[in-house]
Amino acid sequence: MIAKELQDEVYNCIKCGLCLMPCPVYKQLCYESAAPRGKVQLIKHILEGKLEPSANFNRILYTCLLCETCTVNCPSGLKVDRLLKAMRAEMVKKFKLPWQKRLLFSLLSGERLLPFFMQWGGSMGNLLMGLAPGGVKVGTIPFAKLPRLNKKPFREQVPEVVTVAAPKGRVLYFTGCATNYLYEDVGRSALAILKRLNIEVILPQGQMCCGLPIFLAGARESALGNIRKNLELFNREDVDAVLVDCATCGSALKNEYVHILEERGENADAAKALSKKVMDISQYLDKFDLKGMLKPLPGKATYHDPCHLARSQGIREEPRRLLQQIPGLEFVEMAGADVCCGGGGTFQVDHPEVSAGITGNKVRAIKDTGANLVASGCPGCRMQIQGNLGEEAAEVVHPVQLLARALK
Amino acid sequence: MVDAELLKSLEAIVGSARIKTSREDLLTYSYDAYVKEYLPEVVLFPKSTNEVAGILKLANERGVPVTPRGSGTNLSGGSVPKKGGIILCFTMMNRLLEINRANRYAVVEPGLVVAEFQKEVEKIGLFYPPDPGSSAVATMGGTVLMNAGGMRGIKYGVTRDYLLGLEVVLPSGEAMNTGGVTAKDVTGYDLTRLICGSEGTLAVVTKIIVRLLPKPKTRRTMQAIYSRIDDAGTTVAKIIEAGIIPASLELMDNQIIKAVEDFAHLGLPLDAEAVLLIDVDGDPEIVEKQAKVVGDFCKAHGARDVKVSQSEKENEQLWVARRSVFGAVARLRPTCIVEDATVPVSMLTAAVKKIREISERNRVQIAVVAHAGDGNLHPLVLCDIRDKEEMARVEKAFEEFVDYALSLGGTLSGEHGVGISKAKYLAKQLSPTVMAMTRAIKKAFDSKGILNPGSFLEYAE
Ligand SMILES: Cc1cc2nc3c(=O)[nH]c(=O)nc-3n(C[C@H](O)[C@H](O)[C@H](O)COP(=O)(O)OP(=O)(O)OC[C@H]3O[C@@H](n4cnc5c(N)ncnc54)[C@H](O)[C@@H]3O)c2cc1C
Ligand code: SF4
Ligand code: SF4
Repeated sequence: MIAKELQDEVYNCIKCGLCLMPCPVYKQLCYESAAPRGKVQLIKHILEGKLEPSANFNRILYTCLLCETCTVNCPSGLKVDRLLKAMRAEMVKKFKLPWQKRLLFSLLSGERLLPFFMQWGGSMGNLLMGLAPGGVKVGTIPFAKLPRLNKKPFREQVPEVVTVAAPKGRVLYFTGCATNYLYEDVGRSALAILKRLNIEVILPQGQMCCGLPIFLAGARESALGNIRKNLELFNREDVDAVLVDCATCGSALKNEYVHILEERGENADAAKALSKKVMDISQYLDKFDLKGMLKPLPGKATYHDPCHLARSQGIREEPRRLLQQIPGLEFVEMAGADVCCGGGGTFQVDHPEVSAGITGNKVRAIKDTGANLVASGCPGCRMQIQGNLGEEAAEVVHPVQLLARALK
Repeated sequence: MVDAELLKSLEAIVGSARIKTSREDLLTYSYDAYVKEYLPEVVLFPKSTNEVAGILKLANERGVPVTPRGSGTNLSGGSVPKKGGIILCFTMMNRLLEINRANRYAVVEPGLVVAEFQKEVEKIGLFYPPDPGSSAVATMGGTVLMNAGGMRGIKYGVTRDYLLGLEVVLPSGEAMNTGGVTAKDVTGYDLTRLICGSEGTLAVVTKIIVRLLPKPKTRRTMQAIYSRIDDAGTTVAKIIEAGIIPASLELMDNQIIKAVEDFAHLGLPLDAEAVLLIDVDGDPEIVEKQAKVVGDFCKAHGARDVKVSQSEKENEQLWVARRSVFGAVARLRPTCIVEDATVPVSMLTAAVKKIREISERNRVQIAVVAHAGDGNLHPLVLCDIRDKEEMARVEKAFEEFVDYALSLGGTLSGEHGVGISKAKYLAKQLSPTVMAMTRAIKKAFDSKGILNPGSFLEYAE
């Protein structure tokens, strides 16, 4: 059942409607069930036993990016996204997830992921992707524009402990699935900068997917194994910080682990302790003066705020300040930088037209800046934006990649 | 009443994507920002005048109720389907059709959101002043039909003052144009202004022509903190006497100050009885002068602290307090009802004190903000709609306050409308003759009574 205090939340909704237009999904669809207010009211009817949790309701519940914009804007302080997530978990018990998602999540939550990716990534995967006919799309992204898999998972390319001569600090690095399997250059860039700063980096072997994509889809039970394993590996006293390069992983380790364990009535002490140490890499690097170690990097960059950084973690200024430390790099703000890009987990696969509308606005805002570089600390956003923007228009990168390129 | 055959004909008009009949969809159109809920039988999203005409013609022939709707943010139950039937929702008919710079007017469809419209006109140096607190979501249609006001009322008036013309469809399905694009127009009865504020009971609006102003060059914000609310009242009176017309003049009472401070930590003193927030705008030289005069008035009349902003950024910082009010207060209790009886400006602080007395005597939690410049009070009543006993006390406090406001020559509602929330008090303010005339007008527009039935003219508890 949904936790009592979350159930009570529905009575705090005063139906003011202030969450309608800020919701990117409502803005595209313009009907109430797409809006936060509509969803909250339907959940109220279900909790009161006045509405069957029907397949149609289930569809409505998943017509949502979980971008948290509603939660941030609600004058009544409703934790809308938490209510929606808890409701998803209830619905999964009734309506199983479609098989594609079950397969994906069993891969993400199991040891099987590794061998699977080794096979797929190292040999036929990229080959097959290249062969896919031009018109085929995954959601809004043309197949050919999906990122290529790393030849070898990133964590197998580097030692478990990256030592430095006279360490000034010591951190754990949670690489997440994206860096490990898709975006190895982000991992290499992070290590290069940390090395220059004389920080010892430990990448614990056996770390698992953070689990957020799994429990956001509602399959909380499947994610528990991931949570426990990661807590065991990362809740350590002997390090200054636990770094993440992915907005989603950061939000999982900082917030969601605690929520999930608490809502299940389990002891969340370890999760709370870990939560205090977790830092997004931009937050960590922001403490250092990097100017002295950077050479000019020509170009014009803009920044997209990932939902899971800006709203879940309140990190907005740090990545911008990092970019502005790079000499020669012109920084421009885009309009609506913190509006969701329309990716949102598997949303873009389930609702390609809505997603295309939202991403279309983002792409336009980027093109209007004339930037040739778009930085964003979330692999989901980068995939969504690059896939729709096209490589010709601009390159989409993690801020640390630009920093690493500018290292002297 | 809406049978399968009618549904089929309606679907033929709007197409399958713009008709909703699932139980889930209907439930999401059973409410607006007021508390009472009623279930519609079908929700339609027209995109053209022709579609609206076709729908109304069918509904009128069969006597099926039609309730027009914008974003559903009105606070009086105006857009809920009191008698079931059709919800005619305009959120998909939302284009900005024309901005005419030479003649300074614009033509819009009713579903366009006010703030989106304001953003577009401001891009080219023009200005659409009506600014209800809900402007980020409320539609142009909804604000016209409610004659919405807002914070800029004292200087710039309300929605009605910017309305030049309308295209409407009558319940019979006939379309007509009222008014036009000229600023002056006395040909015939002023049907435009009659329909404005009619809460969707006379005709359905399909196109709106509004007047625009040049955007004020600059503005200055002042914040004055008072230990005694009477001093705030005197300041307001002095500013108005001096012939200065601020763009906004907002008052927050002690309950609001505490809630805002608790929520936003702005450093407001918790023992202050009132805070005034004052904006002056216009040409820089004049704004400069007025800001000084207003600042001096505040100090001379007992303000213990006066801040005058020096830049647009500081303006915004001072406004944070006022902008946080709703959010800070609404989260204190599950239900927050916004009252809006209005009194003559000179009676404003007396009314705030009266509210305090009523709230204490009835043990009802009420915090007051007011558009002080036009006597428009917004007591925010905090309660829990599930608690019957508490709601009875709230009801009683409302009634006492309404009687008080009317006894001063005030009005039931300054800007939120009558709808069903205040229908039962209507006869307290409007004489039998006025009520009879109002009914005759309704009949002339809507002989079968299909448009927004059950609203203020026919409402029964
Ligand atoms: C947080 C908050 C702050 C607010 N602040 C203010 C404020 O400062 N000042 C103020 O005046 N109001 C305020 N309001 C009230 C509300 O926003 C206004 O009444 C607004 O005008 C409603 O617009 P809407 O698009 O939501 O219309 P709805 O609520 O959907 O409809 C309002 C009425 O208009 C009718 N209607 C809508 N569209 C049409 C159409 N095309 N043709 C015919 N009839 C139609 C409906 O039947 C209904 O009677 C506030 C509300 C909230 C929740
Ligand atoms: S903003 Fe919050 S209180 Fe208002 S309708 Fe949305 S969820 Fe409800
Ligand atoms: S989480 Fe985002 S998409 Fe989902 S309802 Fe809230 S604002 Fe809309």
